[in-house]
Amino acid sequence: MEILKGIDIEIKAHESVAIVGASGSGKSTLLGLLAGLDESSEGDVWVDGISLASLNEDERARLRADKIGFVFQSFQLLPSLTALENVMLPLELHGAADAATRAEHFLGRVGLAERMDHYPKQLSGGEQQRVAIARAFAAEPAILFADEPTGNLDTETGAQVIDLLFEINREQGATLVLVTHEMRLADRCDRRLRLHGGELVAED
Amino acid sequence: MTALRMLLRDWRGGELGVLLAALIVAVAIVSGISAFTTRLQSSLEQESHRFLAADRVVSGSRAQPLEWAAHAEGQGLQLANILTFPSMVYAGEEDMYLASVKAASDAYPLRGELQMSAQPFGDSEIRRQGPVPGTVWLDSRLFALLNVEVGGRVNIGDGDFEVTAALRSEPDQASGFLGYGPRVLMHIDDIPATRVVQPGSRVEYRLLLAGPEAELDQYIAWLEPQMQNGQRLLDVSNNQRGIGRALERAESFLLLAGSLGVVLAGVAIALAARRFSERHYDYVAIMKSLGADSGTINRLYAFSLLLLGTLATLCGAGLGWGLQALFFELFADALPVMPGPAGARPYIVGAATALVCLLSFAWPPLSRLGGASPLRVLRRDLPDETRRSVFDNLLGLAAVLLLMLWYSGDVALTLAVLAGLAVSASLAAVVALLLLRGGRLAGMRAGSIWRLALAGLQRRGGANTLQVVIFSLAIMLLLVLLLVRTSLIEEWQMQLPEGTPNHFLLNIAPHEVNAVRESLTRKAVLSQPLYPMIRGRITHVNGEALGSGDGADPDRRERETNLTWSNEIPPDNELVAGQWWQPDTSEPLVSVEEGIAERMQLQVGDTVSYMIGSLPLEVTVASIRRLDWESMQPNFFMVFPPAVLQGYAATFMTSFHLEAKDKRFLNEFIRSYPTVSVIEMDLVIAQVRTIIAQVSAAIELVLAVILAAGALVLIAGVQSSVDARLYEGAILRALGASRGLILGSVVIEFAALGLFAGLLATVAAEIAVAILQTQALDMSYSPHPEIWLLGPLLAVLMIGALGVWNCRRVVSSPPLLVLREL
Repeated sequence: MEILKGIDIEIKAHESVAIVGASGSGKSTLLGLLAGLDESSEGDVWVDGISLASLNEDERARLRADKIGFVFQSFQLLPSLTALENVMLPLELHGAADAATRAEHFLGRVGLAERMDHYPKQLSGGEQQRVAIARAFAAEPAILFADEPTGNLDTETGAQVIDLLFEINREQGATLVLVTHEMRLADRCDRRLRLHGGELVAED
Repeated sequence: MTALRMLLRDWRGGELGVLLAALIVAVAIVSGISAFTTRLQSSLEQESHRFLAADRVVSGSRAQPLEWAAHAEGQGLQLANILTFPSMVYAGEEDMYLASVKAASDAYPLRGELQMSAQPFGDSEIRRQGPVPGTVWLDSRLFALLNVEVGGRVNIGDGDFEVTAALRSEPDQASGFLGYGPRVLMHIDDIPATRVVQPGSRVEYRLLLAGPEAELDQYIAWLEPQMQNGQRLLDVSNNQRGIGRALERAESFLLLAGSLGVVLAGVAIALAARRFSERHYDYVAIMKSLGADSGTINRLYAFSLLLLGTLATLCGAGLGWGLQALFFELFADALPVMPGPAGARPYIVGAATALVCLLSFAWPPLSRLGGASPLRVLRRDLPDETRRSVFDNLLGLAAVLLLMLWYSGDVALTLAVLAGLAVSASLAAVVALLLLRGGRLAGMRAGSIWRLALAGLQRRGGANTLQVVIFSLAIMLLLVLLLVRTSLIEEWQMQLPEGTPNHFLLNIAPHEVNAVRESLTRKAVLSQPLYPMIRGRITHVNGEALGSGDGADPDRRERETNLTWSNEIPPDNELVAGQWWQPDTSEPLVSVEEGIAERMQLQVGDTVSYMIGSLPLEVTVASIRRLDWESMQPNFFMVFPPAVLQGYAATFMTSFHLEAKDKRFLNEFIRSYPTVSVIEMDLVIAQVRTIIAQVSAAIELVLAVILAAGALVLIAGVQSSVDARLYEGAILRALGASRGLILGSVVIEFAALGLFAGLLATVAAEIAVAILQTQALDMSYSPHPEIWLLGPLLAVLMIGALGVWNCRRVVSSPPLLVLREL
């Protein structure tokens, strides 16, 4: 089954790009491929000059650990870890010695210094997404992928979370790839790619 | 250390608790039972050494060369000398009696102990040494026979001795059980003064040896080439009387229980690990999206398992140690010898069990976590790749087989259990599918609670079939253990019921029969008739003369045995070959006991010649009988038709039960019938009864532990399906279903599963028990109607209750909270 076809895009370092389109237009599939979470049946993705098709899953995992951060619509925090431990996780996987300090710093940065020892269950949706943002930036990725980051949040909370996301991204200078169907959010990016039926129909 | 933290964090998931508990139970069962049987065996070995009063005995009709003793001492072995011979014992001018005299050195007995009492038939006291030179101890009944009291004097040959006590029991008394008269125990240094031991006298010399096994073996290797005809080495005898077989069965039962315990624990571990891995599927996807590679994931879970295994091994070994210590605490009064510690092996076996369980049951599902796709963070609908494969099941089966074989060392037992498991598992799977289908059809017409429940059963048909199979396996194994245990204990109690004859009377003259019977019925429980008894010597088989003397083949030499006559086959005897004769036949026939027939290579139709007194008798073997030597009933090797033995002088024997408080009766009795021999078996029987009571207690204790393992399987099985039920329940709640509807349908669902499982388990248990009892445990089998109702009922209650308990959150928490946590 062909989900995406004829897509040829280039995203430059430090750029912010929004992928927009209706449900089922292939946005998330594209994101999965760009981030190396999925393998394409044809074609290739180059990240920092490295062909993802030439890597196996473990090598892609190492590439993700080194260069890529994620923010998901459903937060994807580990329920058995506290907020602090969730943020520490990618740092630990990376072998960082100062994981705790850095995690604390980033949790402070997203305004959760007081709630570090809470479990995801005990946090509101907005707070959980802020933990996820702290986790994504803590490893200082070169590229940040965000999949409908406001999809599970109300408008007001979503706006706050997005402000935070853009703010930290600006400080860190990471490349941002954002999947959304909210135009208000897409408008804040440098570029917008519109998908329809798996094809790139517009770019501005 | 991430693994350790992760492990601690995951604790609240519940399945880790089951995993750890199942591992602990497996290790505890295996190490506890293994330590227990090791120690029990060493105790039994020491017990049998006690029957020799030594570890090894060299026996012969000539004195052993002095250098043998010197060499043994040089090897650091303990030794003692004894001499036994028949001799007339005199008291005063008139009273005399033919006694069996034993003369012992100071060190006797090397193993076990002597029991004496200050007065005949008085309270026994334990002594480590026999009488000092110049004194003797007499068998209680000799006091009456010789008309002598403690403090009086007796003569043996030219020696004159003071009687200082009554001899109540010797560790090695079995060797002189029937042949001789009552015992006199004296000091070996007094022998020269008696002048009764002359060249050519009928004397048995024994050199008793004790010491560490290695030194003993070395010494025996040195000794054996120098031994001459007529000198024999006596080793640990297998002759354990009633205790032996009971304990052997108990051991088989414990091994069986242990093996089943490990099967149960293995299933619980597999279930818990599988649920753990299912729950961790999403975790792994997140960790992978954050950059963890499969190696990291595998190391993480492998290390977690290792930690879990270590913890379980430590706790389990501790628990196992406590278990066997508790057994021996129970046993302390009954065991004549408290065995030393079992060493490290049982705990190594336990640790190995933990390792095998982890590798074969827990690791396969967890090892597949490393291959989980990170894409799951974007798409929750990806198929779950951690399902158990056929390979996992085969691996688990192989592991179970290996473990059972390793513990029991018994191929038949292992195969019986395995066949039972395989048959009932496949049967259960087929029937469970059919039952679940049928249940749906019937439920369609029921009210809405039933429809909901039965539709649920149907919807999760595959998972439910697996659950029914697992539940029924667990319940079946528990029922099997329960049933086997009950029949074992019943059989033991039947073997030595209250009032078992504990005294034997021999040598009753024909004219005394009526008077003895009357005197016994007045005072004691006379459960047995008086049997005629004639001493006879087998001289020829099929016309061929048997050897005699020390040089002859010990299995086919002339031997003296007890003969009796009867028109009917004795009760409890079983004919294994030939036919029983017509009553009142006068044909010259004999019925021979199976064991002696085997040793002497006798078959039906063979002719056997006897010498009875000075009269010869030739008969044909008409039948071969099997009899139960542990029954404590009078038993005979050779039974003849009454007409055949007419004309030979017979005495009579019987057995009776006497309470300890009535023992003084024996004194009166012996005064009235001085020529009747009394053999006291009450202490031996009391000991057997105590040991059997304690073994039964040990078995109950093991059963309790196995029940815990079974409960773990049920809990793990229920847990494995709770998530799906919680999810559906929460959605139904959100749609406005009432508490009663949801809880009711959960109750019905689990109760139905329990009912199916209980029915299957009961049928399978009956089959397995029948196979086990007849094939592996050498017992008879009869059906157990009492469990036909109880088995399914208990299964319904237990599984229903566990199901509701595990699903209670569906009605006690807001649906959104439940949904969010899943």
